[in-house]
Amino acid sequence: METRSKRLDILFYIILTLLAVIFIAPVFIVLMNSFKGQFYITDSPFSLPNATTFAGLENYVNGLRKTGFFSAFLYSLFITVCSVLVIVFFTSMAAWYISRVKNVFTRALYYTFVFSMIVPFQMVMFSMSKIANAMHLDNPIGIILIYLGFGAGLSVFLFTGFVSGIPREVEEAAMIDGASPIRLYFSVVFPMMKPISITVAILNAMWIWNDYLLPYLVIGNKYRTIPIAVQYLQGGYGSRDMGALMAMLVLSIVPVVIFYLTCQKYIIKGVVAGAVKG
Amino acid sequence: MAGIRLVNVNKTFPGNVTVIPGLDLEIKDKEFVILVGPSGCGKSTTLRMIAGLESISSGDLYIGDKRVNDTAPKDRDIAMVFQSYALYPHMSVYNNLAFGLKLRGVPKDEIDKKVKEAAKMLDIEKYLERKPRALSGGQRQRVALGRAMVRSPQVFLLDEPLSNLDAKLRGEMRTSISRLHKSLGVTFVYVTHDQVEAMTMADRIVVMKDGVIQQYDTPKNLYHSPINTFVAGFIGSPRMNLFPAHVSKVKNKIMLKADAYSFDAPASLSALLDGYIDRDVTLGVRPEDIHAEEFYMGLDNTLKINVTVDMAEMMGAELYAYFELAGERMISRIPSRMSVSEKDTLPLAIDLNKIHIFDKETGKSIRV
Ligand SMILES: Nc1ncnc2c1ncn2[C@@H]1O[C@H](COP(=O)(O)OP(=O)(O)O)[C@@H](O)[C@H]1O
Ligand SMILES: [Mg+2]
Repeated sequence: METRSKRLDILFYIILTLLAVIFIAPVFIVLMNSFKGQFYITDSPFSLPNATTFAGLENYVNGLRKTGFFSAFLYSLFITVCSVLVIVFFTSMAAWYISRVKNVFTRALYYTFVFSMIVPFQMVMFSMSKIANAMHLDNPIGIILIYLGFGAGLSVFLFTGFVSGIPREVEEAAMIDGASPIRLYFSVVFPMMKPISITVAILNAMWIWNDYLLPYLVIGNKYRTIPIAVQYLQGGYGSRDMGALMAMLVLSIVPVVIFYLTCQKYIIKGVVAGAVKG
Repeated sequence: MAGIRLVNVNKTFPGNVTVIPGLDLEIKDKEFVILVGPSGCGKSTTLRMIAGLESISSGDLYIGDKRVNDTAPKDRDIAMVFQSYALYPHMSVYNNLAFGLKLRGVPKDEIDKKVKEAAKMLDIEKYLERKPRALSGGQRQRVALGRAMVRSPQVFLLDEPLSNLDAKLRGEMRTSISRLHKSLGVTFVYVTHDQVEAMTMADRIVVMKDGVIQQYDTPKNLYHSPINTFVAGFIGSPRMNLFPAHVSKVKNKIMLKADAYSFDAPASLSALLDGYIDRDVTLGVRPEDIHAEEFYMGLDNTLKINVTVDMAEMMGAELYAYFELAGERMISRIPSRMSVSEKDTLPLAIDLNKIHIFDKETGKSIRV
């Protein structure tokens, strides 16, 4: 019995290790190439840097200079952080309302949010960008509102599922204790939603940080976020600087990795909680 | 000064589900009243209407002299203890207790004093810095009581506060809650489906069924004079034996006949049975009023029967003997030193002075 489960364990370890290698490989290739002279990248993309191919931090210096990486980083950071805060704040409130006030209106609202999840972005992107322009949302502040719209579906869905599982009695106790609805939300409901808030924040932060298409369509060249700035390294007329591109890709991944490592505990918790609730 | 009065209170949920058709109930100031009844009879709904967590469809609710139908829960001067405890999971025990006071703008040192006082009284001082999830069920229960206490409300509402505890703890908490009621000197309204809790703690008990009050009286009166077969069967454990009998008049004497046994109706009830001549009634007798000891066999005013024991349950001090009479399953509580076992033939004596008689159709006691 025991040896059998041990053997099974080993098998799982092997499979998981293989999977991990497959997922890590592209990242590793980018990292490795970011230290090679740009002409060696296309020649031998899979070999480790050696004495001849090693280019030190040259790619990084080039990349930072060519892309205006620091301003791109700030735009990305600003847009991501603000969007995530706005999404968590508004969708958690909406979800609380939807799950506690049961009527035709809230049910319609809920299904609208859920429906918005299944509409492909490509289907609405052109009309959306026209409307965004007309409403003067084509700036780093305006795009936050648009992200709120696109992030709301999944977020409301997750929050609603979670709130429905919280016994109402805690809120009723707070009402008897004397809490106004606003106070009730901030002092009792929102703290109880902490685990799911973190999950929602992480999920949204990931895609907003990495998003290319939406900022490209809405704020485009004027306010370059990291994915757009990196994209410009491709340049026209085949003059792409592969070295700088690799270096900038590494830099854009770093914040996500740091973010992931710090929130790791909560990501796993969130996924598990979701799995248990089913 | 906070009696509670419900006048023709109706609760109809959306979809036309009437749970409480029309409730009249008066609870005196400082009284300990327990609402008891089977699950789903509307006890929690009634309590929640008093708390203001559930709107009142029609009728009037008064707390003190004030009509509070439209008063917010926080302005009703009440506190509630929930079955699930409903503690704030992210706050320490201290803050759970302090929250209501903070919201009411009580000064910090006064909050501290009150929280510590309550914690001391409930013996939870050691846990003030802990989160609720690090407490046992009984400790959480105390915290829930503490949270209700600190605001010194005029009315305590408790919804099945002990049903998540194990039997031993439940017994202890029954005593603490009774003591708490005495020391606080406020009105308690308590909901349970457990008649033992009701009997041991209440000043008066409301027995409910399908949203309708069956009887509202002291535990003693409920036990000794149940108003109908429902109350008779609900209050008391093991339950009262109920079995059919026929009433007849023979030579100016009112006779009862149950199964093969004919006997004179007890004198105190004869007059009341006049209207039931040649009709069927339901007789009720508590298990402790069916005796097996020799002593009772010779007494007047007893009905001697011979039964075959189906099952004998040893309870320690006494023994429950199960048998059949007039097609009904009956129980007798007899001293456990008597050796009785299955299939034995057992002579028993039913104390006719303790017998209850109910109308067969309505189930009502013939006394009313
Ligand atoms: N929000 C609601 N909507 C519809 N029916 C309800 C609602 N709440 C309770 N009920 C119904 O009211 C009845 C009484 O419930 P409740 O007061 O909780 O009973 P008890 O506390 O006596 O067990 C039950 O049949 C229950 O299904
Ligand atoms: Mg209930």
